[in-house]
Formats: sequence, structure tokens, C-alpha cells
Amino acid sequence: MTVGDEVIEYMKIKLGGGFLGAKVSGERRISIKINPSALRDAVKAMKEKYPELRFITISTVDHGLDFEFLHHFSIDGSVVTLRSLVPKEDGTLQSIVDIIPAASLIEREISDLFGVKVLNHPNMRNLILTEDWPDNKRPLKKPFETDLPKKIRPVAEALISKSCVASVSTFIQRRREDGGLTKTPPFAFADEEDLEEFHGIIKDTGLDRKVGFDWERKSLRYK
Amino acid sequence: MAVKYVSFLGCQIPMRLPCTEIASNRVFEKIGLEAVDLPGYSCCPEPVISRQLDKTTSLAISARNLALAEELGLNMMILCNGCYETLDEANEFLRHNPEEMRRVNDILKRYGKRYSGGVEVKHVVEVLYEDIGPDRIRLNVTKPLNIRVALHYGCHMYREKKGADIMRKPNMMKELTSLAGVEVVDYGLERLCCGYPTMLANEEFSLKNRLLLKLNRIKEAGADAIVVACPACNIQFEMGQIMLRRYGENYKIPCMNLMELLALSFGVPYKELHLELHKSPVLNLARRMEMT
Repeated sequence: MTVGDEVIEYMKIKLGGGFLGAKVSGERRISIKINPSALRDAVKAMKEKYPELRFITISTVDHGLDFEFLHHFSIDGSVVTLRSLVPKEDGTLQSIVDIIPAASLIEREISDLFGVKVLNHPNMRNLILTEDWPDNKRPLKKPFETDLPKKIRPVAEALISKSCVASVSTFIQRRREDGGLTKTPPFAFADEEDLEEFHGIIKDTGLDRKVGFDWERKSLRYK
Repeated sequence: MAVKYVSFLGCQIPMRLPCTEIASNRVFEKIGLEAVDLPGYSCCPEPVISRQLDKTTSLAISARNLALAEELGLNMMILCNGCYETLDEANEFLRHNPEEMRRVNDILKRYGKRYSGGVEVKHVVEVLYEDIGPDRIRLNVTKPLNIRVALHYGCHMYREKKGADIMRKPNMMKELTSLAGVEVVDYGLERLCCGYPTMLANEEFSLKNRLLLKLNRIKEAGADAIVVACPACNIQFEMGQIMLRRYGENYKIPCMNLMELLALSFGVPYKELHLELHKSPVLNLARRMEMT
């Protein structure tokens, strides 16, 4: 069994539902996708199992709507990366400094440059930026949006939520009835099962994730 | 033989211009065309934006609509140019790409649906011209309208299979319009887009460099009305004339759908068509025509 396969199998057992997937992309390159809430458990588990574990660094990618944190470690020459995706509405990162003290500086740097709130860090002062640096102006933080042009957003939102890009007003409904038509056209949104089926297709093809649709609020996560 | 189709209305006709739906129903009744509703249908999806967002989603939504028609064992008649292009192109694409058809059906089968490619997609002008025929339509014209109209065919109507004549459907629309007893005036910019699809990208450009150019020529040609076969173009001609006022351009040319023109020429009283839903003076024109 290779180091990669061994680490993956071990983490799968240790993390349970916190383990979201894994990929071996090279001879010594292992990437494990985890739930952000499982980050500390994952680091502890690796430290427990591999005494030779060496912390490399943490990379942060701003995807517009989410932060992706990549915690890189070395185990006997193989690089193991823990990848976790955190919605920007949350925007927090669990500190691992009490487990890996060497993570202190990079966690502070991430806080400075992206405005990420690092939880339970023992010494959370700015590292690069001055102490009076405004919270809302972080050098590497992108705007909270996708590249979907602003004017197109309401169309995408209406299509996903209602299966239709126009809405019917009560005025139009009255005119429809006066003209011998049904009050509401036989659209998918008029029937719960049909709408559920339509929404299923949107989820299956991943359009909701691509444009950042929030199913609870039935709107895009951004304006 | 009875002509029967599933009628695909899209979003704009039932939600914003039900007057077109009312008129279509009256015309279909008179010419013996059975137009069946498509329960549970969704946006085609919208042709300009959806395909840019995600091709697989767009194809899967189109395939679901086509599968609904296939379940009813009927071909599809479309009353909107945009929906026509989306569904016709999706249909052709899926029929000629078995791998994509399989991928889309893998999604649909989770919901107990399947599309086998058995539905023919037709624009309403094709159905009126080819399935019903000009002669049968002419027989129903009891009140020739005696006005001058400018035609805007709409960009998506020119869509044809590779190598076919792009004027095939526009020519059908022109002939069908003439049957209403109107004079079709040429204004030279029939092929120019009305500007609807670019409104989201650049409103001023769409209004001044597309719509206004057309309105100028249409007015010069002495048209009493503009006739379209697409609800999106209809909305652009109506809302656009209102929006152009802020640039000092004052146009009040009525713009109506071909189906409304035919309904009026068939003697359907204008009051029954709810033409007051138009944002251009279609109602006034219809009133004047009924009095003459």
C-alpha cells in the first residue's frame, strides 16, 4: 500500500462524515477534501499516526463566494493537503496553533490579507498590515460575488427559483381569467412535484453551485 | 385531418403578454388547430443567458420540456422566437449527439423521464403556413384590416438547418400577414435586431443603435403598426419607445403580435383580446380599425 492510499484509508476512518473525498494526483501528492469542522480532528489524527509529520504551510484561495484553505503537510516526502471550503458568509478558520505551533505566522498572514477570522489563535495581532488597517479593505480579498454580470443575476435567480424568467402579477392573472385563460399558466412552479423535479435538474447539473444559489433563501448568495 | 400540437408559450407570453395567448386561442379555434397545453413545462431555457451559464443545464431543461411533449405523443408548436431557437437547437443537437443524449437522459431518468428525440419543433408561423395553409386562413378573414404594417421577423426566426434558406420562415410570416388584408411596407432594416438581447449589456446602445434606427425607418415608410412574432421583440418595441423618451425621441407606433393581427382580421372583437395590456397604442389602433 502506498503512503497516499494508507493516509486516505486512515483519514476516512478517523473523520467519518468529515471526510468528503480524496485524490492522489502524483506519486507523492495526496489531496484530501474535508468538512471545515473536521479540520482540527484531521490534523490531530495525522500527528498521532505519523510522528514524522511536518507542517509546510497553509494556502488560501478566494473563490469569490467561498474561501478554500489548503493545509499542506509532509509525511516522509509525500505532500498531503487538507482542503476545506468555507462560505464567505462564515469566513472563519479554526486555528491549529495549539496542535502545530508553526502555523501561527501563516494564520496571522491569512487573517491580514483575506480578512479571515481565525478562531482560537493565541496571539491574533496583525502581522503584515498596520494595526489601524481597515477591516473592509483586505489586500487579497475578492468581492463577494461570481463573475456573473450584475444585470444577469435576477434572470438566473428567477430561472432557478421559479423555473421561469418572468413573474405573473395579480393584474395579469385577472386579465388572463377575463380572457378565458387559466389564472396561472401550467408552469412547473404551479405544481410542487414539477418544481421539485426542475430544481433536481438544477442541482444535478451543478448550476446552483456555479452561480451561488442559496436554496433556503431562494435567492443568490450575493446581489 | 385535424392538426394537433403541444403549444409552447414560454415565459413572456403568459406572464406579460397574455393578450397574445388569448388571440392565438381565438385564431386556433377558427382555423381548426388544436393547441394542447404542456403541464409542468419550464422556461425553454432563455436562449441568451442560460447557454452561457451552463450548457448541460440548458440542454437538460430543454430535454425535459421536449420529453413532456413526447409523453403526450405530440409535436411542439412554439409561439416565441427565443424559445423556438433554444428548443429547436437543443433538439437537433441531442438527436445528432448520442453521447450528450445519454448524459441528459441519465439526469432525466432520476425523475422518471426520458427523451428519445421523437418530437418535431415548429415555429407557429410554420404550423400556420405548412399545416393549416394560407387558403384555410384566408377563408377566415372576414374583416380585412386595411392598414400599413412594418414587419419585424426577429433574429431567431432566421435560424435554419445548415444550408437552408434563412428567409423561409420570414417569407411565410410576410405572406400570413398579408392575408389579414394589410399592406406590408418595406423599410430596409427588417434584418436588424430590435436590441432586446443586448439591453442587459448596454441599454443605451440597444435603444439608440438598434431600436431607434428601426423606428426611424418604419416611421418614414409610413407604417401604422409594427407586427412581430416574438414576445421579447414585442416588449422591446413597446418598452423601448417609452424608454427612448428620455433621449428626446418620441415614438408612439403600435406594436402587436401576428396572432393579434390575424384575430382582428378574423372579426374577433378587439375588446375580447385585452389589447390594453400593450404598452404601445395597439388598443387605439384596434378601436379605429373597428370603427372603419
